[in-house]
Amino acid sequence: MGRSRLFIALAVLLTCASLPGQAEIKADTSFRFPADKPVKIIVFRPDVKVGSMGVGTVEEPNADWTAAARTKLAAQIDAHQKGGGNEVIFLADQEGENAQVVADYQALFRTVAAAITQHKMAPGAGLPTKKNKFDWTLGPGATKLGEIGGGDYALFVSTHDAYGTAGRKVMQLLFAGMFGGYMPAGIHASYAALVDLKTGNIVWFNVDPASGGDVRTDEGATKRVEQLFTQFPLREGQAAPSAEPAPKK
Amino acid sequence: MKKIMVFLASAALVATPALAYKLVTHGQRVAVAKSAMTIAPPIDWNRQQSRPGRNAEAWTLDGMPLNEVTFYGGIAADQTLFKEVNKKEKPLPRFAAGMLPTDVVQMFEASYRLAGGSALFSVDGVEPATFASNRGFRFRYSFTLEGEEVKRLGEATGAIVGGKLWMITYEAPAIHYFDRNLADYRALVASAQLPGPTVTVG
Repeated sequence: MGRSRLFIALAVLLTCASLPGQAEIKADTSFRFPADKPVKIIVFRPDVKVGSMGVGTVEEPNADWTAAARTKLAAQIDAHQKGGGNEVIFLADQEGENAQVVADYQALFRTVAAAITQHKMAPGAGLPTKKNKFDWTLGPGATKLGEIGGGDYALFVSTHDAYGTAGRKVMQLLFAGMFGGYMPAGIHASYAALVDLKTGNIVWFNVDPASGGDVRTDEGATKRVEQLFTQFPLREGQAAPSAEPAPKK
Repeated sequence: MKKIMVFLASAALVATPALAYKLVTHGQRVAVAKSAMTIAPPIDWNRQQSRPGRNAEAWTLDGMPLNEVTFYGGIAADQTLFKEVNKKEKPLPRFAAGMLPTDVVQMFEASYRLAGGSALFSVDGVEPATFASNRGFRFRYSFTLEGEEVKRLGEATGAIVGGKLWMITYEAPAIHYFDRNLADYRALVASAQLPGPTVTVG
């Protein structure tokens, strides 16, 4: 039931934080944007959470860090997409019925993302019926988002950072030394997803549970977006860049 | 909760069987919820290895947050629907053999509010239904879990047979998912069988 489900999703995120090798999920490597027409991508207000974490696992949210990170990340997403030749539409705040539709789909998206993270990332928690499949969707009703925002695709970005305090770092060493156990230094997880608004299908999804880049700085936000979007879909006929992928840290 | 998270994080490199899922192959009749209830699923499902309660078992298609079917296999008198989360301060209600369908609904609602932290829970009607060839009941409900914004719908079908509660529930987000898999859930309910004497319907 509900509560155990939340436990699992949270625990899985933490568990995955130490398993960067298993992190990346590509929905469909064959997905390409059409070559012959402009691509309009609606970007939803990024879900950004930045805080600090002390000796325990209690996080203290930091409103200033969060606001700064959101602005910096949005600017980097804009630059990144334009660099790829895509038109980006940052969805303005909606009113009335449209506001409800947007809120409902954002909530559904978070739930679908939780299912993907839980069942595609956690070692041993994979669903046997989806072993070689990536067919998650928001359903055909997602076309409403395209009508509201005036775009063909929707881009969702979520980042969660909790910087370990000095006390926590000391505790981390003690924990390892005394018990041989593992205590994460903090949380630096992010994911991004692209939804085809004709079908509601998630055509690209990438999780980076050990994200690099301090999102509180311009350089850090650039690094974070570059890493998260390393394998963002290309256009038909466009070859993947031969350059080395961005370094992890 | 934090203790559980830290524990799991520290056990990160060890596969956690509690999170594991096993395939339920279509076309084969299987016993569910460590009970005498059997089901013949028309399509493949994923069975969660950890149990939500002593006499319960959960299946999913796309992941627990997106579609969840729970089998309650003979909840006996004085038993709870799920594992207690806070027995001292928030004890879960207990089943009694003499309960009417409306009492079961009330117990269900109270259990969800206490165990799921779901303050937003409403029952949208109770009606008679057939369950494993017994006279039973069906009800719809809607809820939102604590810490989440997604609205979920649910349907429960069950019967009290031999002084025990037998029930199958289905929950999914209201947008897209609930309607998409409702027929898959009803097919599971239609295939449910219980041994022993039944109260023939009709």
